[in-house]
Amino acid sequence: MDLPAGTRNYSYAQDMAIFRTKTHWILLGVLILLLFAMPAYWHDWLSVVNRIGITIIAVMGLNILTGYCGQLSIGHAGFIAVGAYTSAILVQRFGVPFPVALICAGLFAGVVGMLFGVPSLRVKGFYLAISTIAAQFIIIWVIQHWTSVTGGFSGMDVKAASIGPMVFRSQASQYYLILIITIISVYFAKNLSRTRVGRAFIAVRDNDLAAEVMGISLFRYKLTAFFIGCFFAGVAGSLLAHTSLSISADYFPLTDSILFIGMIIIGGMGTILGPILGVIFIRLIDVLVTELSPALQNAFPNLPSGFTSGIAPLLFGLAIILFIIFEPRGLAHRWQLFKASYRLWPFSY
Amino acid sequence: MKTNRWLLLSAIFLVSILAITPLLAACGPKAQPSQVLKIGMMTPSTGPVPEKGLPGQHGIQDAIEYINTELGGAGGYPIEVLWRDSAYDMAKVGTIVQNYMNEGAILFTTHSSSEMKAAQGKANDAGFPGLATFISTMNLHPPQHIYGPTPDYGDDWVAFARYYKENVWKGTGKPKMAMHLLSGTVGQGTLDGAQAMADEIGIELVDVQNHLINTTDETASLTVIKSKNPDVLFISSVPAPTAVIIKNAKDLGMYPGITIGAASASFTKALVDLAGADVVEGVYGVFHTVSWDDDVPGVAKAKEYVMKNHPEDYGNMDYFSTWSTTLIIREILELAVKNVGYDVLAKGDAAAWKAVEEQGIQKLKGYTVEGLQGGTVTYTPGDNRLNKFLRIYQIQDGKIVALGDWQEAPLIKYAAYGDQ
Repeated sequence: MDLPAGTRNYSYAQDMAIFRTKTHWILLGVLILLLFAMPAYWHDWLSVVNRIGITIIAVMGLNILTGYCGQLSIGHAGFIAVGAYTSAILVQRFGVPFPVALICAGLFAGVVGMLFGVPSLRVKGFYLAISTIAAQFIIIWVIQHWTSVTGGFSGMDVKAASIGPMVFRSQASQYYLILIITIISVYFAKNLSRTRVGRAFIAVRDNDLAAEVMGISLFRYKLTAFFIGCFFAGVAGSLLAHTSLSISADYFPLTDSILFIGMIIIGGMGTILGPILGVIFIRLIDVLVTELSPALQNAFPNLPSGFTSGIAPLLFGLAIILFIIFEPRGLAHRWQLFKASYRLWPFSY
Repeated sequence: MKTNRWLLLSAIFLVSILAITPLLAACGPKAQPSQVLKIGMMTPSTGPVPEKGLPGQHGIQDAIEYINTELGGAGGYPIEVLWRDSAYDMAKVGTIVQNYMNEGAILFTTHSSSEMKAAQGKANDAGFPGLATFISTMNLHPPQHIYGPTPDYGDDWVAFARYYKENVWKGTGKPKMAMHLLSGTVGQGTLDGAQAMADEIGIELVDVQNHLINTTDETASLTVIKSKNPDVLFISSVPAPTAVIIKNAKDLGMYPGITIGAASASFTKALVDLAGADVVEGVYGVFHTVSWDDDVPGVAKAKEYVMKNHPEDYGNMDYFSTWSTTLIIREILELAVKNVGYDVLAKGDAAAWKAVEEQGIQKLKGYTVEGLQGGTVTYTPGDNRLNKFLRIYQIQDGKIVALGDWQEAPLIKYAAYGDQ
């Protein structure tokens, strides 16, 4: 915990507090107020914000798996698909209430994640990445070919999320649902990183042999990381299905799995703030390019048709390269530096 | 120090992007002039199928220019297109459609059936009418708020199977057909039609293989097909994979030998360009518009605009399809303005969507689309295909040449999609 100059912790509770000072609490209050008031002043942006929220939940899971525990996964979109289809099938075919389906989606995605995480006990790094890519392909193949259950290539129509009589059909209501689950996910991830399990993840990431020698069960903690990371993905998938109202395998391409890795690199691996900043950054670039493409094509009629097509991937790639070279600890580290200098201001030296 | 400065500048740049993006979009729509009819149109101009999306985008742009400058818009009001590149990203499609609803568009179009599949959940739920230039069975069955300006992929299969049986097949008994289908709505729609109508038409389906949109080699799947000894291979896909399949079939000695037919989504100039004219010589295809060589008023006008703005698209059927769809949209808006007045439509809300659907789309009757499509564009209750005519073409000397007359596509009831 970074505290302002002159502030000290005098009890264990103070030391463990996430929000320690009055300023923290005030800023938290303002942030929550702004977030809950957003539909009133940014209504036209809610579809983008909702997508950002769902992606934050998924990428937060990947951050636990990759950023905290060091287990690289390039199959995360596949695990989101597992959650999306689990939830959609439970609600559509079996009439299970959405909240139950949401939790089941997370649990089932977690179990599937554990299955694909088994190779992590033998392989790591590049080799593990390849084995998780297999998860992506296998899951999508099963979805496309298990027609009687998943609808196959046709996909599925999905009911809007509902809790009792409350149906989340409007964008604003979906926003509040996603916001609350995102907050719970971020809070859970923050606390997890400070527990015995979180510290074990970090030990496994930093040096798994040393961790094992210290008595940390690699089998247990690596699979736990896969379960938790994929649980988040499953929850995100459930929200995606019940807000899109339609799903098919096309919603979960391999490129998304790669993009999620890019998001935690840009945001900052192994931090809680990192995935949030990374997701917002990448999604807004995507929106920026989509919104500006028509204007750019009109502004430069002499350039080849569709020249804007390269802008989005170019910016993503460029951002990832620049961050890896100049700021490997991501935007979250920049934010930390900013806060540190602000805390000492005007006596920064 | 230099590194720190650079990092600071980078941080400022990144923060600026984060801050400016919402402002740009928030300010954009409000700056547009009033007294226009706003519609949303998306094409997959980037991503895995730019060979379809880009000519489609150009067809929209040129048709809108023609409508607004020469035809006086629709009902006297210029049409404003909120065009977006979907990049064939289905999650993005959902966001784009939602934005169209927020920005006051009164209807929307997608270029592909997959985009429409991703959009139709939200659109049907909100009653926001949409049209897909290339459309699949699952977009239209059961009929809700999504319409096809053309027949669907199931109809493509039926039209080709009928033509093949009556004009190409010289054997006895049932001809054996194999199918190579793009994974997704394109392939599934065709399979739906084949499964529903194969027995009635008298075709034996001997094998069905699937391929991905980014496939580069289909030798293995074609070897399986070859072992089943089919008389005809029907491909339902987009141009690039279709080119791969036909090239592989040629390498395996299957073609020429068997007959190859292609559904509408792949049957365009891009197929000839990608595969090579000699490779695709003699391939049959199904399409829902006239060819560039037909002597109808619409072709002359499209030629004029394509040569002026996008000469590289001359001969491309995707360009033609979106041009034709845009003309149909103009007719819809013209009817809607006439029947309910501009003020209702200008609101861009649920009432405007309902007005466009009930007083525009559902009032379509006898519209000829300047001769660009077979028959006329007419709404029939219970059938959301606005045009029901297809024609068979063949690639001859690198050109797409029409064979015979238009075929009417009967409405097929698909129980799997809840048709009554």
